Amino acid sequence: MKHALAILLLTIAATPALAAKVYVSNEKGNDVTVIDGDTFEVLGTYPVGNRPRGITISPDGKELYVCASDDDLVRVFDPETMQEIHTLPSGPDPELFVLHPSGNPLYIANEDDNLVTVVDTQTHRMLAEIPVGVEPEGMGVSPDGKVVINTSETTNMAHFIDAETFEIFANVLVDSRPRFAEFNHDGSKLFVSAEIGGTVTVIDPASQEIAKVISFDIPGVLPEAIQPVGVRVTADGKKVFVALGPANRVAVIDGESLEVTDYILVGQRVWQLAFTPDEKHLYTTNGNSNDVTVIDVATNTALRSIPVGQQPWGVVVAPN
Amino acid sequence: MRNLLLAAALLVPVAAPAATPTADWPCIQRLQPRLSLGQVWSGPPPAEGAATPPATAALAERLVQRRMALDEAESEIADFAATADAQALALLMQAVFQRIDTQRATIIQGISRYGHAQVALAGQVETRRRHMAELETADPPDFDAIDAEERALDIDMRVFTDRQQSLTYVCESPVLLEQRLFALGRAIAAHLP
Repeated sequence: MKHALAILLLTIAATPALAAKVYVSNEKGNDVTVIDGDTFEVLGTYPVGNRPRGITISPDGKELYVCASDDDLVRVFDPETMQEIHTLPSGPDPELFVLHPSGNPLYIANEDDNLVTVVDTQTHRMLAEIPVGVEPEGMGVSPDGKVVINTSETTNMAHFIDAETFEIFANVLVDSRPRFAEFNHDGSKLFVSAEIGGTVTVIDPASQEIAKVISFDIPGVLPEAIQPVGVRVTADGKKVFVALGPANRVAVIDGESLEVTDYILVGQRVWQLAFTPDEKHLYTTNGNSNDVTVIDVATNTALRSIPVGQQPWGVVVAPN
Repeated sequence: MRNLLLAAALLVPVAAPAATPTADWPCIQRLQPRLSLGQVWSGPPPAEGAATPPATAALAERLVQRRMALDEAESEIADFAATADAQALALLMQAVFQRIDTQRATIIQGISRYGHAQVALAGQVETRRRHMAELETADPPDFDAIDAEERALDIDMRVFTDRQQSLTYVCESPVLLEQRLFALGRAIAAHLP
């Protein structure tokens, strides 16, 4: 018994605490800040190459992917040690990417080359280059992994790409400068944010018809300051959060009525968002105030601000 | 060709611009001519037409000075908040906002003048180069005039390049003011009941 207890204690001591860690890419700082999701403490800051923007993590939590935009590649890190494991070809100036729900492949938007690059995360090979509109940026993938969405900032379109044939099968015109595409969890709605248009277009992915265009009106804020970028939907589909850029607010939208219910003041120039796995908290990157805000998802309130590196851009939370 | 390079340097201060720089706004940061109170404040709106008490105005005047460290500003705000209600805090916020937004608008006008001065200088460099080319093809060439023009061209080029390199910092100044405004807003909002 004593022996068993000793082994048990040893096991507990040897297993690192798997509190969901939060990874924030700092575009100007050229590093990633790692935050403990339980204590909100900054665990460390690690160099990750030049101009890190898009950041994501594999479903098993073992590989952290960072778009090193000025290095023209994707750098892959061990999320525990933050040591670089290898790199992936990305095409020039990778800005944002999305991982297939299975963890492979990775779809990368190449802003300067009007391409979406598809890369196998196992073999590290490029599988395809898909020509899209001008200045591709936003990337989304349907929950069943069959449809990839790319938004092009200048063409103002959401391109629907078949994940098997890599062919574009539909284009939907949205408002000016679309930045981000996000499906809800049952795949029945696609949300596309338009930074200059100041709207979020809700598209029915099955018919590619526009269901609604959501606009934002914040008392005391000039309309030109409202620039929607990052979008996240809760797993139950009930709440949609939209980062509104220099309005310094995150909008909360009712996922069913598609009406805006709240505006949360966070930090300056809020762009990207990430939930913790339990969806208790939502992290926001605030590029001009150099911090992240932790939002309490249940109450729509800003809980605290955590200072990170220079110009935080993207954020991802480990799945475990 | 050289002029083209100059123009390119003027228009693209760094790679991958977020906005397209022009003479009016030579920065990559998206131009936001005026700020709005709601960008930095989610407390109660200040009562319409309410006068700012002189003590509040004086405090706002001190808070917006960048030489006052932020922790010092926070402690002055805390002292003020000890006897202030939400409306008094809203008035302080409004006074701070108006001052910083005005300063910022002045700086933005300055940046626009800076941008136009650079375009004018690029034009002057081009004129000098054409003049140089004419002088060089003259027969017989006036070497003193060529030397003088070359010196003037060198100076213009140096001024242009120096100013271009400062542009990054010049363009950051509205952002620095926004950062201070936001930080002051957070500090004031922390005392809201």
